[in-house]
Amino acid sequence: MVSSQPLLQLEKIDKSFPGVHALDHVDFDLYEGEVHVLLGENGAGKSTLVKIISGSLPKDSGRIIVRGKEIHQMDPERSRELGIGMVYQELSLVPSLTVAENIFLGRLPLTRLGTVDWLEMRGQAESSLGELGVQINPELRVSQLDVAEQQLTEIARVLSKEPQILLLDEPTSALTDTERARLFEIIMKLRERGVGIIYISHHLAEVPLVGQRVTVMRDGTVIGTLPVEQAGEDTLINMMVGRQLTEQYPKEPAQVGSPALRVENLSVNGVLHDLSCEVRHGEILGIFGLMGAGQEEFTQGIFGLLQLSSGQIFVNGNTVKIRKPSDAIRHGLGLLTRDRRQSLVPILPISPNITLASMSQLPLYHKLDLRQENLSAGRYVSELRIVPPILDRPVLYLSGGNQQKVVLARWLFSEAKVLIFDEPTRGIDVGAKSEVFNLMNQLTKRGVGIIMISSEMLEILAMADRILVLRAGRFTAEFNAGEATQEKLLRNAS
Amino acid sequence: MNQPVPTDSEITSQPEPGIKAQQLSRMLREILTRVGPLITLLLLSAYLSFATPHFLTLSNLTNVIRQSSITAILAVGQTLVIISAGIDLSVGAVAALSACVAAVMMTQQIHVGGLTFGPLSFWIGLPIALVVGLIGGWLNGFVTTRGRIPDFISTLGTLAIFRGIGLIITGGLPVPSHLTATELKGYLPETMIWMGAGSVLGIPVPGLIALIMVIIGWFILRYTTFGRAVFAVGGNRDAARVSGINIDRTKLVVYSVCGVMCAVGGFVLAGRLNSANALMADEENLRSIAAVVIGGTNLFGGEGGVFGSLIGALIMGILANGLNLLNVSAFWQRIIQGVVIIFVVVFDQWRRRRLIR
Repeated sequence: MVSSQPLLQLEKIDKSFPGVHALDHVDFDLYEGEVHVLLGENGAGKSTLVKIISGSLPKDSGRIIVRGKEIHQMDPERSRELGIGMVYQELSLVPSLTVAENIFLGRLPLTRLGTVDWLEMRGQAESSLGELGVQINPELRVSQLDVAEQQLTEIARVLSKEPQILLLDEPTSALTDTERARLFEIIMKLRERGVGIIYISHHLAEVPLVGQRVTVMRDGTVIGTLPVEQAGEDTLINMMVGRQLTEQYPKEPAQVGSPALRVENLSVNGVLHDLSCEVRHGEILGIFGLMGAGQEEFTQGIFGLLQLSSGQIFVNGNTVKIRKPSDAIRHGLGLLTRDRRQSLVPILPISPNITLASMSQLPLYHKLDLRQENLSAGRYVSELRIVPPILDRPVLYLSGGNQQKVVLARWLFSEAKVLIFDEPTRGIDVGAKSEVFNLMNQLTKRGVGIIMISSEMLEILAMADRILVLRAGRFTAEFNAGEATQEKLLRNAS
Repeated sequence: MNQPVPTDSEITSQPEPGIKAQQLSRMLREILTRVGPLITLLLLSAYLSFATPHFLTLSNLTNVIRQSSITAILAVGQTLVIISAGIDLSVGAVAALSACVAAVMMTQQIHVGGLTFGPLSFWIGLPIALVVGLIGGWLNGFVTTRGRIPDFISTLGTLAIFRGIGLIITGGLPVPSHLTATELKGYLPETMIWMGAGSVLGIPVPGLIALIMVIIGWFILRYTTFGRAVFAVGGNRDAARVSGINIDRTKLVVYSVCGVMCAVGGFVLAGRLNSANALMADEENLRSIAAVVIGGTNLFGGEGGVFGSLIGALIMGILANGLNLLNVSAFWQRIIQGVVIIFVVVFDQWRRRRLIR
């Protein structure tokens, strides 16, 4: 250890959200001049933990100790005073302001008259960006930058505050290899200055490159903390996954039939280029890509939520026109959106949420049969084991996994023959995950074709019959089940 | 109900006793939300019965119903709009315009080119009023969806437009006025006056009409695909869209239905006043919105109902009536109404935030 007293110490931090125990008595510490990597799958609780450190989320219980002093009330202002800086996973820039204004947001340099000192600001912004080794004009609006440039701006903003404790939440997800290497150099420099860094990642390969210690989290608990020398990839994967793949991803192959959905030369201006693919009845087609590779646009394009610039869509071999979601629903498509909040009407009870997509196909003056509706909804509630099975209760009180099942029930009710799962396990706990996978198995056995879009390599490797890799709006590789490995996927995706 | 046999995983995820108590208190709060407006209505009535001897008389109570029913009818349309996460600031103007158009056609001769017709009978005048309301409401929906502008701006604009058209049609005068009354058949039809001022078995006709409108509104919201779409659009636009609901079409129909309700309200009001004018019903925007919110409909959409709005309209009516009986000046009454609506929305939002917690 570099110094005897930790810079930051967390004791028994506990945090729950409705339906999810996000952090379960988590202990964690960070020393001066150290990079402590926080590793774990999506939903393991990494982001929640650093948000509690940065004060943007309150803890339920536990102690936060900074330089030996307990901080009872951590909020963003307090954490700034303590020299804690955070680079968020979701960018927190103001798109309509310039790069320089964003870097100095909330602490603009002033002239003696009290007006903004634009010259000074521009100069300082240039030097902070220069330190990162990037060429971004500080006068540009953030909305004109691409994602990588935005991320670098965000990093420059946090670094310009000269934090003593730096929290980086997946900072490299949108960066190229050279930009990433440059960031690692800067991290080295900061270490020499005694800055303590918590580095969140789910790229195993990054761990030995930046870290001194690594802590693995799973389902809201700390599995263990190791010096990097002892943390081989296999060890880490074991800790992250914690069980045999087959147990967590219970893939059962189904009879693969005729093509259910085929898209040809699908393009969306500037985002998707000439995508062609096909999913058969009973098959799970996996689409893997890193953040922002165009997955969301792909699903939206197929489902009529986004204007296609070109492309043809075939359902069961017949060409169809999909201009709006109701066209997609009519042709037997279903979409489980990446964010369940885009699918559910939270204040409405379970039944109307289940029947919504089928109902939208009826004329506006159609009379509803509420009794029949509750009966059918009740069938799906017991079949999918949605708990608690209270039909007239707003779905907002359900846990993430149960909400996901309500969305799934909707598409079962509409008798969709092709289902698009966009990040189906995002934000739901492990138990619910394997339930969702089991349901996918049942669906394929009934002849439903599934497009599974995921950035979770393990789940896509386990569940998909075929995997397409998406990079910058193009398919770069195709693998059959068993051919693909994490390395192959990553190499083609980045 | 045939309860499915619980499996192990279901048993483990059964709520613990503490959570059950939580559920119970949440249920209590929900019930309180439902009957809250009714309790307010009863308390207000009880207070006024003690505070003034004139309140609890048959003639005063029928008077209250007459006054509240216009608000109630407009509030039915406003409820639909607000559940769809919109707001209609033009309800009073649409009501006035449709009443004016119908009143002019039923009292005056119209010259179009070489043709002269009218005055028209009640049975043609009423549909004309409804069509004017429909067109006005549709225009609100059209401007909002096609212009992609906030509802309150589009309806604020049409508010001025409708009032202006009304003024042009009536020449700024009441219809029938002392000018038109001298012409042939210069009075509003008997049936129209009966709709506003008559009574059946001692119950004021406008009250019955309001009740019918409320039942129609209730049926639409509860038992039609359109009503369901209204809740979905207001509750979560994105989800409604992904589920295949045509949001623009839904809003267009919502505003059109609201326009028709306004026309009914305007027609009844003109019947009650025995006269229509382009500037009447100017307080109904505030009152109808207040009635809807007091009745428990979420100002930000997605939940609510017309029966609550009916009670809200009665509360607003009794409040105005009580203030009159207590000799509070009309100027102060406006201030009090404004304070009430702000207070109700603040309380409502505070309560909802607690409910979500």
